[in-house]
Amino acid sequence: MQKKPILALEHISKNFPGVKALDDVSFSLRAGEVHALLGENGAGKSTLIKIMTGIYRQDIGRILLNGEEIHLHSSAHAQRYGIAAIYQEPMVFPDLNVAENIFIGHTDQGLVVNWGGMYKKAEEILSTLGVSLDVRSQTRGLTLAAQQMVEIAKAISQDVRVLIMDEPTASLSAHEVEQLFALVRVLRDKGVAILFISHRMEEIFQIADHVTIFRDGKRISSYAIEEVQQERLIQDMVGRELEAMFVRDFRAHGDQVLSVRHLSKEGVFDDITFDLHEGEILGFAGLVGARRTDVGLALFGIEPADGGEILLRGKPVHIQSPAHALELKIAYVTEDRRQLGLSLSMSVIANLSLPQLGKYLNLLGLIRRKHEIETAERYRQQLNIRTPSLWQEAGKLSGGNQQKVVLSKWLNTDPQVLILDEPTRGIDVGAKAEVHQIINDLAGKGIAIILISSDLPEVMGMSDRILVMREGRQMGIFKRAGTSREQIISAAMGMAEGEAGA
Amino acid sequence: MPNFLKRWESLLLIILVVVVVFNITQSPVFLRTENLINLFSLHIEKIIVALVMTLIIINGEIDLSVASVMGLAACLMATLYEQGTPMELAILVALGAGVLCGIFNGFWIAYIGLPSLAVTLAGLIGYRGIASMLVEDRSVTGFPEWFNALGQDALVGPLPLAMIVFFFLAVAVFIALHYSGYGRYIYFIGNNLEAARYSGVRVKRIKLSLFVVSSTIAAVAGILFAARLGAVRSSTAEGFELDIITMVLLGGVSIFGGKGTLGGVILSILIVLCLRNGMNLLSITGNTQSTVIGVLLILSVLIPNLTQVLQELSRRRQYVLQKE
Repeated sequence: MQKKPILALEHISKNFPGVKALDDVSFSLRAGEVHALLGENGAGKSTLIKIMTGIYRQDIGRILLNGEEIHLHSSAHAQRYGIAAIYQEPMVFPDLNVAENIFIGHTDQGLVVNWGGMYKKAEEILSTLGVSLDVRSQTRGLTLAAQQMVEIAKAISQDVRVLIMDEPTASLSAHEVEQLFALVRVLRDKGVAILFISHRMEEIFQIADHVTIFRDGKRISSYAIEEVQQERLIQDMVGRELEAMFVRDFRAHGDQVLSVRHLSKEGVFDDITFDLHEGEILGFAGLVGARRTDVGLALFGIEPADGGEILLRGKPVHIQSPAHALELKIAYVTEDRRQLGLSLSMSVIANLSLPQLGKYLNLLGLIRRKHEIETAERYRQQLNIRTPSLWQEAGKLSGGNQQKVVLSKWLNTDPQVLILDEPTRGIDVGAKAEVHQIINDLAGKGIAIILISSDLPEVMGMSDRILVMREGRQMGIFKRAGTSREQIISAAMGMAEGEAGA
Repeated sequence: MPNFLKRWESLLLIILVVVVVFNITQSPVFLRTENLINLFSLHIEKIIVALVMTLIIINGEIDLSVASVMGLAACLMATLYEQGTPMELAILVALGAGVLCGIFNGFWIAYIGLPSLAVTLAGLIGYRGIASMLVEDRSVTGFPEWFNALGQDALVGPLPLAMIVFFFLAVAVFIALHYSGYGRYIYFIGNNLEAARYSGVRVKRIKLSLFVVSSTIAAVAGILFAARLGAVRSSTAEGFELDIITMVLLGGVSIFGGKGTLGGVILSILIVLCLRNGMNLLSITGNTQSTVIGVLLILSVLIPNLTQVLQELSRRRQYVLQKE
């Protein structure tokens, strides 16, 4: 029996500068069904959720609730229509107790809080969900899973009709996932429409009734869960579009530079082992929450590892701070260019020379400006940084040019190991190709490169070998030759073990 | 608006000229050397400390404990001298105490990560407390002749020692802030501490060193203050921190860090000094003077933000026009 859709999205499109985040997407949710959404990073899932919850407005298209068009202008507004979302990290107020958190959105109850009534109602809601929590306890001490329960109870108290769950299981243990799923089934049987997002394939087959696949901002396909196989879903996620062209001259590698043995950080990542040679690019692939960035941060000393070994040219090193990593000639280009990569209100030239400022000082500690300008000018020409002046504020440059400033600042440190974290995120196609060219040239000069990227074609096009991570664990290292995108995705989703080592 | 006028320093310069012209027309005494020396001397210890406070605030921190460190240094020196320690040694110990205060402040802020507002507020209370324990409610006087002369007599030409210290320190801070690597690091940390750390800047060391410099200079200023007055009490220099911070903020240094120049602070120091001096010459009371300075400070925080709001509005308008 087909149930009637509660929430329908019709021909939704959403553009961001330079990116088509959603392209003519139609999609509907039915009462009493769990609908899973699948897609790689950047496929448009988050944008879709944000439109459904009133955080973004679509450029084109309509949203229908029970057949009537609605215009959402904030998440509070969406909640009034009974559309609520819960995320991987619960957003509870830690200093308030469970009941207060459940009823925090209820501002229509008069000036005086009826505490007895509130506790009683909170207990009622929790018991219908089959959850036993003390409604008077502070949420601060609760586990993530329990905090999620509180969030769900909050949604119920607001008469939720559509519940969006964005990777709710990502930080839960197996047992907690079971509890959450039991709850999801209770909600489903109450007639709530649930949109469920997860990167874990087995969960989707366990809980979902329907599944829809997104790729590059488009809805690719939808299936009833009982009539589809995993392989089919993966094929749809990966697509068959032409491989983008990547400049990469593959050469023989030089000596081994970095050797990482069983590197671990408690609760973050575990048992990461790889070697890296001069002129080699090692790609790090994985989905959101794979903890690839955390490995990069450990190698750069921002969040040092607590187990395992790092050998640099055969010698063990304990990298404790970025300043120390810099001395060892390890450089890290962060994924968060605007917050961490640059000081946006400082000039291009000051940003560029910062990591190596010591080299530009005379005996009195004064900056040798001429020397500094020469260097900045050299990089401006080499990397084709388009800026009206070296004294321009870095924040005023385009994303691509900002990224070139970041690259320059690290190249100027003459690194032997260069860690690139999402080096082409948020920059336009032209600049992307330029950055790929630069990465290729750097490998050609014998720099050992770690390329962390969520852009699968990029990581496969640029790397010699690809290390796949999933939830802090190394799923395998794949040689570029003879590895398909399906194999990488399968490993990233935890479905097959790649051949370890290489 | 021409670029020149967009700069806060330009506005300060105009205010300064207005105040000076007003003072000249109101009082023939204003331009006399004795008056000008007097104008500086009355607040010389505060403006010495304000120079280093500029670095601290650009770095994104604050040091509320400076006045208490001034008091502590003076009281410690006085107590030691009273008990028979040679004056030279007493001064050295007082300076050493300044260094220790700085290390103490800097350790909690830089290495433990506590907010400087809280740590130096504790310092403000704690260091003053130690000073009070040392001198209680006495007034310590009877320092050696040479020491009092150092504070009161002209050393070079008409200039007393404190003014020479101020001029040399101003030049040193100016060069450090605007031409040295240290100054560059201060700006980067104040602007975006995490980005500085991600660039390999040794953020903790620089923060610690700044607090050590701040407390040490405050100790120097406290000793100079004792020499000028020839007497020390437990309340010596009490409340100075607010005047000092006022001068720095009025100079266009952002309380959020990362922005400001020493030139602006020097101009604001001159404005405050000339205003107070002018009002003194007109026999306007201290309370009214404070009110005027307070109004100036509010304007100084308001106006730069106001121009930002206006710029933002015009930017949005242009954006809308472009879209149409």
